[in-house]
Amino acid sequence: MESIRNFCIIAHIDHGKSTLADRLIQRCGGVEEREFRDQLLDSMDIERERGITIKSNTITLPYQAKDGQTYQLNLIDTPGHVDFSHEVRRSLMSCEGALLLIDASQGVEAQTVANLYLALEYDLEIIPVINKIDLPSADIERVQEEIDSDLGLDPFEAVLCSAKTGEGVDEVLEAIVQRLPAPLGDPAAPPQALIFDAQYDMYRGVVMLCRVKQGALKVRQQALLMHTEKEYEIEEVGMLQLERVKLDQLQAGAVGYVIAGVKSVRDITIGDTLTDAKNPADEPLPGYKEAKPVVFSSVYPIGTDEYEDLTKALEKLSLNDAALIYEKDSSAALGFGFRCGFLGLLHLEVVQERLEREYGLSLILSAPSVRYHVTLEGGEMIEVDNPSFYPDPSEIQSASEPYIKSSIMMPERYVGPVMELCRERRGQQTTFRYLSRDRVELTSEMPLAEVLFDFYDRLKTVTQGYGSFDYEMLDYRETDLVKVDILVNHEPVDALSQLTHADLARRRALHYCERLAETIPRQQFKIPIQGAIGGKIIARATINAYRKDVTAKCYGGDITRKRKLIEKQKAGKKRMKMVGSVEIPQSAFVAVLKSEVGK
Amino acid sequence: MTGLQAPTEAASPGLYLHLPFCSAICPYCDFAVRVGDRERQRRFVETLVREIQTVTEDLPPAFQSPDTVYFGGGTPSLLDTRQLERIFFWTAKEFLPTQDQARVFLEANPEDVSRSSVKSWLRLGVDFLSLGVQSFDDRDLAFLGRRHKAADARRAVRLAAAGGFETVSVDLIYGLPHHDLESWRRTLETAVELSPDHLSCYELEIHQRTVFGKRHARGELVELGQKRQAELFLFTHRWLADHGYPAYEVSNFARSDGQQSRHNRKYWRHVPYLGLGPSAHSFDGRRRWWNERSSPRWQKLIRSGRSAIAGSEELSDQDLALETVLLGLRTAAGVDRADFHRRFGFDLVERNRRGVDEARERGLLQVSSERLIPTLEGWAVADGLAASFEID
Repeated sequence: MESIRNFCIIAHIDHGKSTLADRLIQRCGGVEEREFRDQLLDSMDIERERGITIKSNTITLPYQAKDGQTYQLNLIDTPGHVDFSHEVRRSLMSCEGALLLIDASQGVEAQTVANLYLALEYDLEIIPVINKIDLPSADIERVQEEIDSDLGLDPFEAVLCSAKTGEGVDEVLEAIVQRLPAPLGDPAAPPQALIFDAQYDMYRGVVMLCRVKQGALKVRQQALLMHTEKEYEIEEVGMLQLERVKLDQLQAGAVGYVIAGVKSVRDITIGDTLTDAKNPADEPLPGYKEAKPVVFSSVYPIGTDEYEDLTKALEKLSLNDAALIYEKDSSAALGFGFRCGFLGLLHLEVVQERLEREYGLSLILSAPSVRYHVTLEGGEMIEVDNPSFYPDPSEIQSASEPYIKSSIMMPERYVGPVMELCRERRGQQTTFRYLSRDRVELTSEMPLAEVLFDFYDRLKTVTQGYGSFDYEMLDYRETDLVKVDILVNHEPVDALSQLTHADLARRRALHYCERLAETIPRQQFKIPIQGAIGGKIIARATINAYRKDVTAKCYGGDITRKRKLIEKQKAGKKRMKMVGSVEIPQSAFVAVLKSEVGK
Repeated sequence: MTGLQAPTEAASPGLYLHLPFCSAICPYCDFAVRVGDRERQRRFVETLVREIQTVTEDLPPAFQSPDTVYFGGGTPSLLDTRQLERIFFWTAKEFLPTQDQARVFLEANPEDVSRSSVKSWLRLGVDFLSLGVQSFDDRDLAFLGRRHKAADARRAVRLAAAGGFETVSVDLIYGLPHHDLESWRRTLETAVELSPDHLSCYELEIHQRTVFGKRHARGELVELGQKRQAELFLFTHRWLADHGYPAYEVSNFARSDGQQSRHNRKYWRHVPYLGLGPSAHSFDGRRRWWNERSSPRWQKLIRSGRSAIAGSEELSDQDLALETVLLGLRTAAGVDRADFHRRFGFDLVERNRRGVDEARERGLLQVSSERLIPTLEGWAVADGLAASFEID
């Protein structure tokens, strides 16, 4: 146990976590040069492309330290986005220490701070690492100052490195060995192992990743999941290198995997504790908390013949993603689909991209919504996240919506515009403090719903990319909730209905009306598009009877192009949804709803 | 031929030659265009002559004795007189041995119009000079990336008009992002004061692959709103009709029937036409094909003795019927019912009774026993109107 080090790397997005992980793996010989792919641990395409880690991966590295001893370094990878903070927590609980990675040119950012607080919550030993020192824009002194002032850590303990060039990587490894404590735990006690992640293997079922706190997990042991109270016989245990390496047992202090014939990730819960059914531990480890979806959206296939495929794809996807929940839904305008719950906007986007990319589906997502608490006249409280189930306003006594505590860090010069943005987004208790002479952290309590609509983009714009954002869920607060309907030629389009704060209803409705008016093909007569609350019209736009392309030249006799266009128009009609006497092409829904999801 | 009858109008074919060179590429243009020095132009002309010679070795009857020859581009006027002469010479020699009645069309840019160029074009036999004026407003011209000023354009039209061409036409573009009725009307007024015989007015379209397309995608260029576009379209037609230029096609206006573009009319009436040069389209009454769009590739193919055809399609009766409707609805003459019936074996109005009635009630169509004629409002939605017809 003395030679084990369990650690993770925590960082703000883009600060080079995956690159450093890759470099550590390479340095420890965990991988042949030719197998080495950049960002080895980020295995999903989406992660690779966006440079973020969504599902955490874990690897055991043998390291021959300068003291001549060989250490077993367990790198527990953590997801890099606030949506997945529940996974981060679980990972942190499995470690004794953390590398806090900071970009030498970007400095300390919102997630750096949030991650540090999380790590401190779990009593982890922190090694600050200043990365990307090879960049021409690197400003090590300034970052050291920030480590001192923003984080309250000793800046002189920070290790300097460039994961890209490999400079300083040996120092990072030595620091892990020398400065992080070895795990503690009684190997003879009844076993207690925290499940901090799970993967799905097509052939073996669920592969649970565990940190053994005490005792040992062995093959053929009857394992008990302490919270769900289910029992499974352990088929295989081992450690994770680039591939799974079988062992006879996992002992106290170890990090490794357990395969026990579990069919779906739904059957277990991340954060649960594994023990021996015959010789159980007294109590489960702390850390059991269900990840609750906070963002909801209906997902429809663009081709109605793709519904079966979507059903299968969601089933498969959820084998791997226990946080994704879904149930059947249907819309008069868009047909059959699913109402899905997500951990946040990024989670939503990731699921959408995976469905489209890995399963070849084309999808339309309805406007994302939070889950509202609605108290009815009779005093009964119901949860509503789908506008279709919004009760008649006359039956509603009050409604409340989830609030978050947002933290935005930025250079001082952007404080004005960011405060304005927070105010615009119904931020309350907005305060700021100086982290250093020219860096400010602004905190604000604001409705989660406000973050769902182009907040990230707006923040990026007003801070010219220098602002960073992080949040945590706060509580539910009373709100003036209304349901906005969109009417096309006086007929409501159910897929476009949404719940929103009364003050924003007009703006949102107008946005929809204008987008629709631009994207629904010109008809042969004028069509009103209206936004309404109940019977009251609050916004309108008109589709004019006009198509510009008629004046386009049939140039040099290229009539074929023109005919093809018109054939397409004719064929398009077959895939349009009739609303009143107006045909709305799927593309109009896509255009209107696409513009919603912020980055 | 599967019982297909040729269009009623017994007409000679048209010939189109594409000369892709421009002195610079306009940011809105998505035609097959390129810039090139003298040497490139010379080599291009050699290749075009070769295509002319090859094609005429075994010319299908449909393309014999064309009575319109159209030099389009690009900027044909950019070629120096000797090169133009060479093309004209070979065209006449190979296509027009007996036909001296063919009308010759040439596209020209205002900056290329001078006393001497006018003279040489007339000498070459140009009847219809189409001037790429685009606007008589310097702000518009700068926005469109044109190389001439409004004053140059006025001067060019005057020179051309004085020169004695049978028809002088002015091309204009409207619906620029900053256009309103006032600014556009000033351009129309200037145009009419110069009294050309013919006008073509196109609305600015933003095509993906152009500079404008990219600026649009980045949000730097915002299209004029649909409402304003519709206003400008209707205004253009009404104003020009009031000033002696009724439209005979959705974008084309002529002072008299005799001044209409006989060549372009062939496209709209399914009269055969042969296109030579990169990207040019040809149609023989049943089949349509088109040349390689890229000029270097086209040259390579022709020079190595191969065909430069990049694609072709055989039009079914249904395709032809749809085209007849969509093209007919773009013209003031509309769709000839008897002719349609004779060619496709059914009456268009009877097959589409409900749709036609609806369009008539909405004031989009006029229906007589002979013709289906779009109204101005009908023109504004001509594509949608055409798409609403059942033709199978």
